[in-house]
Amino acid sequence: MGAAKAKGADRGSAIDAPAVPYDEMRDADGAVRPQYASLAARIETLSADELAERQRTLERFFLLQGITFTVYGAESTTERIIPTDLLPRIISAEEWKIIEAGLIQRLKALNMFLADIYSSQQILMDGVVPRDLVLNAPSYQREMQNLFVPHSAYANVCGSDLIRQPNGEFAVLEDNLRVPSGVSYMLANREASKRVFPGTFRGAGVRPIDRYPDLLLTTLKSMAADWRPNPQVVVLTPGVYNSAYFEHAYLARLMGVPLVEGRDLVVHDNMVYMRTTTGLRRIDVIYRRVDDDFIDPLTFRRDSGLGSAGLFNAYRAGNVVICNAPGTGVADDKAVYAYVPAIIRYYLGEDAILPNIETFLCREPAQLSHVLANLDKFVVKAVGASGGYGMLVGPHSTKAQQDEFAAALTADPNNYIAQPTIQLSTGPCLIGDEIDSRHVDLRPFILSGEKIVVTPGALTRVALRKGSLVVNSSQGGGSKDTWVLTDRKDLQP
Amino acid sequence: MLLAVRHSTRYLYDQPVRESVMELWMQPQKLSHQRLISFELEIEPAAQLFSYADTFGNAVYHFDIPQPHDRLTITARSAVETEPPPALPDGLDRGEWDRLKSDFVRGEHFDFLHPHGFAGPTAALAAFVAEKNLDELRVRDPFRALLDLNRAIYDAFAYEAGVTRADSPIDDVLKARGGVCQDFAHVMIAICREWGIPARYVSGYLFTDRKAGDRSDPDATHAWVEVFLPSLRWVGFDPTNNIIAAERHIACAVGRDYSDVPPSRGVYKGEAESELAVGVTVRKARAAVSEPEFLRISQPTPKPGQRRAQYSGLAYDQQRQQQQ
Repeated sequence: MGAAKAKGADRGSAIDAPAVPYDEMRDADGAVRPQYASLAARIETLSADELAERQRTLERFFLLQGITFTVYGAESTTERIIPTDLLPRIISAEEWKIIEAGLIQRLKALNMFLADIYSSQQILMDGVVPRDLVLNAPSYQREMQNLFVPHSAYANVCGSDLIRQPNGEFAVLEDNLRVPSGVSYMLANREASKRVFPGTFRGAGVRPIDRYPDLLLTTLKSMAADWRPNPQVVVLTPGVYNSAYFEHAYLARLMGVPLVEGRDLVVHDNMVYMRTTTGLRRIDVIYRRVDDDFIDPLTFRRDSGLGSAGLFNAYRAGNVVICNAPGTGVADDKAVYAYVPAIIRYYLGEDAILPNIETFLCREPAQLSHVLANLDKFVVKAVGASGGYGMLVGPHSTKAQQDEFAAALTADPNNYIAQPTIQLSTGPCLIGDEIDSRHVDLRPFILSGEKIVVTPGALTRVALRKGSLVVNSSQGGGSKDTWVLTDRKDLQP
Repeated sequence: MLLAVRHSTRYLYDQPVRESVMELWMQPQKLSHQRLISFELEIEPAAQLFSYADTFGNAVYHFDIPQPHDRLTITARSAVETEPPPALPDGLDRGEWDRLKSDFVRGEHFDFLHPHGFAGPTAALAAFVAEKNLDELRVRDPFRALLDLNRAIYDAFAYEAGVTRADSPIDDVLKARGGVCQDFAHVMIAICREWGIPARYVSGYLFTDRKAGDRSDPDATHAWVEVFLPSLRWVGFDPTNNIIAAERHIACAVGRDYSDVPPSRGVYKGEAESELAVGVTVRKARAAVSEPEFLRISQPTPKPGQRRAQYSGLAYDQQRQQQQ
């Protein structure tokens, strides 16, 4: 980290990252922000031992609930408890109003974009988004062309990654429209924080999030055909070895619907059934947590054992609904991301409420040379990768890593984008037995079916290593509860 | 020309398999110069047939057979009346190259201008193009250049079954300098796309005329290439036989390459070796269409490194028929 600070002195002017990140709890003068007042007051009264005791209570809760995840490539145990921080992150009602409006606007536009690129492709004809960027993306599924998608809701479940910039403004870092995960942690963190700060929680006026499973089920059912009055919904999981298996089981349980694997499904005469102890039962809606490529070996990857052969043809015929729709990944592609503000303007005639992070497309030669000249300052990401894999954080990288990326960028520029290193905001965390600041981001969850709904809460991810800007759980990040406060004006006197 | 086609496909399994799911690209297209008179599909064991139009507008039929079975036969019978395509000029002006560069052409035919699967640039293809000086053909107008390219591929490769397989990359045919129509079509498509000419793979049948010098196998499905020239629209080139596709060609489906439009593809569940046999007869209609014999038994040779999964829940990729 010391090396990174030394380098900070000679940063180029074009991509200067302000030195001081936004502090979630305290303003520039060190005064506690109003939304944190009650929590700050409560912490003052607790000794280090009492804080540690609460942290242990929290961890015990997760252990007993079996809330674990898998780190791919790690040598030790495969199942870990996600590191969870004791202190909630708090968002005021005013801030949330902007976030909510921005997310709804964004998902509305992205669903319109998907409907367009899978039908008449007006936006490509008009040259707003380069045609080859969309049509040559591996995530663009030609099978989806001209298919009817109810309510044009392609991305039924969306998890967007927001960060707060040094000026205090929230910006979108990434849209996740494929099979976003993490919502179970949002729900579990809330259960845990109610136990460790019961009084503060009750007094603060935190908006509830426990309707999420109901809203998810309603969204999924709204995708079923009208003539199926009581649609059968299932959650399709790749199986117990998947890193998010816990979440799949958790959501199925909370919604009260069956959890199935590909081998439990059978497609016959263009209908999808699940095998049950009492025979086959017809399925109407599949909330699939299996990637596009693996859902149907007949249509997509032929070596996949995770899906069911013929599933896509049943979907095409309208006999089952797959949520999220296949092919949504093209709209959260990291290169398409750069065009989202233009996409919002094109379909809605509005400016984006939540801004983007400045993004350099390495496919453009001029931008590529700028990125290559400043590799130590940029965050470089592979377009197709997610979860913090295939990524270079310039200021925290070695010369060898930079050389490796320079070679990769030159060899395959289309596959990379670069963004200036953004100082994520920081929030208070309990580290050891002291309270210290760590960088955080924000992943709210948006549901879209008949209508678009944002749950007033989020997963706040924490980079637990001091100074680190990488919050992904697969890269040593943790999480914490997120309190969205009720607008006092909305409360009954 | 009135033509009747009978196309039989038979899968035999050494153990019963179940939950076979299959898709077929076997119905002749309905075109201005190709009238589809009748089309019938017979599946044994019996199955309910469904259909849809794929991205490229092809008619796809699909079905599933849930119960255990140790054989599966598909018989497609069609009758087609073909007409010679509109007369073609001897050549075009060189301005056709510029018309190919228009945004409209490049947008409309995007999928047929970019590499896909088998039909893409490789080092071996570049070496072949250099060796035969193929890029020099482009000093002529696109139509004459394509006629020359068609002949160059015909001359460079021997027609030889068994050298390549249904899933062979073009490097195999470039190395062996021998192969079947599928391989030649992929080589030509890859070069056309490098030249900026939209090119697509056509799967279908050929009423073979040995006297006219046809060398493709009369008892197999056929494949050739269609290219888009703004002045002429789609024109079919058949590099296997060094001819322009005309009334003896019956087109079933078009795609970016073979993998978009195999005559049949499917998966099944069960631990079994499968054996695929295909027979095709194309006859002038009103003459009796005789029963075709199953001519070629292709024995699957497991590819190195491609092991079957150990557990039985997995669906196995069904063998696909090569187009010859």
